[in-house]
Amino acid sequence: MKFLFIAFFLLLSNSISSAIGAPCGDYGECDSFKPQLNNMESMQLGALTFINHCYGCHSLKYSRWGRISKDLDIPEEIFTNNLVFGKNVKLGDRMTGSMQPNVSETWFGIAPPDLTLVTRLHGSDWVYTYLRTFYEDSSKPYGVNNMVYPGAAMPNVLASMQGQQILSCKDVPIIASNGGVRRDELGNNITEEKCGYLKTIKGSGSMSVEEFDEAIFNLVNFMTYVGEPSRADRERMGWYVILFFIVFTAFAYLLFREYQKDYH
Amino acid sequence: MTQKASGVFNWLNHRLPIVNTYERHLSKHPVPKKVNFWYMFGALASVVLIIQIVSGIWLMFGYENTEEGAFASVEYIMRDIEYGWIIRYMHTTGASMFFAVVYLHMFRGLLYGSYHKPRELVWVFGMTIYLVMMAEGFLGYVLPYGQMSYWGAQVIISLFGAIPYIGESLEIWVRGDYYISGATISRFFALHVVALPLILIALVFMHLVALHEVGAGNPEGVDIEKHLDENGVPLDSVPFFPYKVLNALVAIGIFGIVFSIIMFFFPEGGGYMLELANFEEANPLSTPEHIAPVWYYSPYYAMLRAVPDKLGGLVVMGAAIAILFVVPWLDRSKAASIRYKGVLSKIAMTIFVISWIMLAWLGTVPVTALRTTLSIIGTIIYFSFFLLMPIYTSIETSKPVPERL
Repeated sequence: MKFLFIAFFLLLSNSISSAIGAPCGDYGECDSFKPQLNNMESMQLGALTFINHCYGCHSLKYSRWGRISKDLDIPEEIFTNNLVFGKNVKLGDRMTGSMQPNVSETWFGIAPPDLTLVTRLHGSDWVYTYLRTFYEDSSKPYGVNNMVYPGAAMPNVLASMQGQQILSCKDVPIIASNGGVRRDELGNNITEEKCGYLKTIKGSGSMSVEEFDEAIFNLVNFMTYVGEPSRADRERMGWYVILFFIVFTAFAYLLFREYQKDYH
Repeated sequence: MTQKASGVFNWLNHRLPIVNTYERHLSKHPVPKKVNFWYMFGALASVVLIIQIVSGIWLMFGYENTEEGAFASVEYIMRDIEYGWIIRYMHTTGASMFFAVVYLHMFRGLLYGSYHKPRELVWVFGMTIYLVMMAEGFLGYVLPYGQMSYWGAQVIISLFGAIPYIGESLEIWVRGDYYISGATISRFFALHVVALPLILIALVFMHLVALHEVGAGNPEGVDIEKHLDENGVPLDSVPFFPYKVLNALVAIGIFGIVFSIIMFFFPEGGGYMLELANFEEANPLSTPEHIAPVWYYSPYYAMLRAVPDKLGGLVVMGAAIAILFVVPWLDRSKAASIRYKGVLSKIAMTIFVISWIMLAWLGTVPVTALRTTLSIIGTIIYFSFFLLMPIYTSIETSKPVPERL
């Protein structure tokens, strides 16, 4: 009986779950992102990229300057001199951004959202993919569009690093109904032209594709940290708490077994 | 020194029934000697209740019950209060675990007929606790004032509007405003932290008093009161303290492991315990694509959506909870435990469990035509299980229940 039901659900589950759209829009599945919250160097570089390229428009209003300097092992003096712009900013202040929301709304049509929790809202995978999938599209106001979030109101701020990225077409083999590649009489693969592939024009940016991916990794790593600054602590402490409960359970069980002898 | 201490104790004991209460409810309270793991969830529920009360009080130190400040204050707790994140995750994980252990506790009741005579009132108090918990959980979910708090509240409060004649005024009365606002947050806060917890504690007290009056059940459905020793203590029982306390301690240890794994490594529970959309502050101008409840309401949410008419959905959802209250009078079986019930009860129970889990899943995913059909089927099975219970439990032949445990 139970088996029949399970089989029934397995059959159904495919047709049911396919109703949900791809998590990363036109891009399909997001590229996987595994944060390294103990990699200080990566998060420091990410913080640098964030302050220089993102903080002009986006705030991190739930986070405080000093907390970042402390958690990321950046000495206060270096931090204040290189990352904190603004004479009146104190390290205990919240990172409320430098742009007035009412002004930016006029400029962009929508105020740039606060990014403190963006990695928790959309997931780090999503942000990592989003930042790498801008492409040139002259029909848009800023000349760029995004595959993950089509029609995004954000210009490609990191274009100087990434260079020009365009949508290109390429020849791909046609897959036959049996799953293999379709071939002509001479045994050559039959191909067709498919479009919608991202391609970076070599030499147009200050970084190679690999360097850019790494820069974005560091940036998203930093943003993941900002989303939940206690996460590294949480995962470290968790092991000790679990260990405590394992020892506790073991002793409780031994005591229970001893007393159980009274009535068994 | 010891003489002095016992003097003080005697003075107190003559004025407060310390020894009496200790003996009646702990050291001499008889409980069946053979029970299985299903009988641990009641103890675990009281542990979670304590976790929720203590962590809740600590959360209140930093929480701000205003429209402008609510969301930011939760982030303040998460970031600026020392170990505030532990308090908050303890409370959010606790909420889910509260429902998890209570669902398992309720299922134990169904499985072993814990509502059978003379335990009907224990069951009814228990069901009332569950009803209050559902309200408590809903109110609490609104407080962080994220997108899902706002829109979840919008959906649930608008249900009041479906009631004929008084609906619209009732909706405004519940909200305290024409739309969800600071007025709603502050009243939900008062209800969540004072009113409902008081009711909850009172009900738990009544649940336990009624239980201790009639005694705990067992998986065999044996009435242990039939065979007593010369002191009137059931032969198949052991005193609650220390034997069952030790039993519970092992359960608490295992529960602690599970709780910490979730709390420290998966506090969002894959978006089923803390919905990801709730990491964005409430925005009345932007409706999320897909409004789903947290997992513990989802079976009833699926039933609500299965009915196209709003009032009809509300009635079905209400009836789904209400029907649980009368289970003691629907079950006509001679045997309390599923072990001695007939084959019809066993089949009914299996189908019921599968359809409940299916409904729970359906409540969390966006609607499609196929899923709506499945929700309707699930709802029909849910109600059939209870409404047909008087029939299948009286026509089937149950096995004889043993005399002793």
